[in-house]
Amino acid sequence: MTWKGKGKTAIVGIGYSELSRRPQRSLGALSLDACRAAIDDAGLPAERVDGLATFPEAPFHGAGTQDGEQIVSVEYVMNHLPLAPDIRWYAQIETGLVASAVIEGVNALLADACEYVLVWRALHNPRGRYGAWSGNRAPGDAQFMAPYGCTSIFQWHAMAWQRYMHRYGATRDHLATFVTNSRRNANLNPNAYFYTTPMTREDYFAARWIAEPLCLFDCDIPVEGCVALILTTAERAADLRHPPAYIAGYGQNTSRRRALFHYSLDNYMESGHSLASKLWASSGLGPQTMSAAELYDGFSPSTLYWLEAAGFCGEGEAYSFIQDGRIALEGELPVNTFGGSLSEGRLHGMGHIAEAVMQVTDRAEKRQVPNASAVCAIDGSPMLRGSGLVITREP
Amino acid sequence: MSTTQEKPRPLIDDLTRPFWEAAREQRLVIQRCQDCHYFNHPPRPVCQACHGAALTFEPVSGRGTIYSFSVMYQPNVTGFGDELPYLNILVELEEQPQLFLVSDLPAAQRERVRVGGKVEVYFEDVDAELTLPKFCLVA
Ligand SMILES: [Zn+2]
Repeated sequence: MTWKGKGKTAIVGIGYSELSRRPQRSLGALSLDACRAAIDDAGLPAERVDGLATFPEAPFHGAGTQDGEQIVSVEYVMNHLPLAPDIRWYAQIETGLVASAVIEGVNALLADACEYVLVWRALHNPRGRYGAWSGNRAPGDAQFMAPYGCTSIFQWHAMAWQRYMHRYGATRDHLATFVTNSRRNANLNPNAYFYTTPMTREDYFAARWIAEPLCLFDCDIPVEGCVALILTTAERAADLRHPPAYIAGYGQNTSRRRALFHYSLDNYMESGHSLASKLWASSGLGPQTMSAAELYDGFSPSTLYWLEAAGFCGEGEAYSFIQDGRIALEGELPVNTFGGSLSEGRLHGMGHIAEAVMQVTDRAEKRQVPNASAVCAIDGSPMLRGSGLVITREP
Repeated sequence: MSTTQEKPRPLIDDLTRPFWEAAREQRLVIQRCQDCHYFNHPPRPVCQACHGAALTFEPVSGRGTIYSFSVMYQPNVTGFGDELPYLNILVELEEQPQLFLVSDLPAAQRERVRVGGKVEVYFEDVDAELTLPKFCLVA
């Protein structure tokens, strides 16, 4: 049975800060830019915003948690923006990535806890080597990894992709199609870090290894900046500046993990299904009715795993499914139409949500998929905690 | 640059001490549930499979297969800078599916490493206090 909340709430404003590698201004200042831009985009007086939600987690352990510099919390935004004099509701999510903060906002609106919710995701790009391990004592589970030089998330993604290649016969050549398609889309997205930088297949193959079989361009591009959204009820949305992008359904990954040692490839279908099945059940829609798919790509293989786990193709088929233009803007299923985290920038899934909104409201300009009626945005890799949304043109 | 830096060492706690003490004695032990016989690694306060608390450490064969591997090119981990690039393997012990341990191997072995390849444990004495169980390829 379709979810009772289907089409009852909508995203009505989007705001981007500048996205850059090493900004001159603080993350807090950039986040306030994005929040103000989202409020303006909605055409709303700031004092009407009476709900707040974010997922403030630092990009990796050790990246710092100083509020306004390395993270931007609810507390920070509450203290630095002239919103409703008495904020009625807020939530600060610890797991599930930023789509979970959007889901909380949707639930708050349905419960009449507030009228207009501001959701943001601020990402810090720490100085120095990304994800470096500098401690000499490894606590907890890390004590079984760090002494062997295996501490970084990209090493685990590299091992999962190696296993996938072995199991299904995929190669780097297949992955190159995905990565260069994302770059082509980013070249049509003025918000993208790589907006003016094209990438050929030769560029992809010439890139240095990070952890073989993953190269530099298989990893998302770390940026510093923020994207913000405004959510409200469908009734209130009708009076605002842009057409509403309705929330048709949502889902979170609640699978139980068998393997304790980080994650393996073996459970990605089952684990991803935990999220995707809720997306399709709540919205009453399915992979075959999506006009485009914005699928998390912190590392390039994750999007392929999602194509399979969410039912766009069968298990072990994604690497061939994405060939021959099928996922291009003109193709049967455009994927990561804005360039993804690989080419727009690492926003932990917020860019994916913003793009789904742009597509179903005809605001995606040169990368617009004609008549996009329903687009899903999924955060996180299928084997990790994540969450997703189905966003539609009609309620 | 990194020659003088020490590699990370385990911060041994009550839960993990039996694993590391056995390694000092050249034995590989894994925490096992006495109720459902599930091996939990890394060790857990309650069994991941049945949530029971009857957990003790039992010797395992030290034999396994390479579930997957990668070659690390980034000097992200203190003390490993001079060994770049180095191999990491994810070893699936023969006792239980997805019972994983990590090991590192010299990059020179790259051509011999393959998914499904057989490995066995050996013990590397780091100093008087620490021995690391590691895995090497078997013919
Ligand atoms: Zn048990």
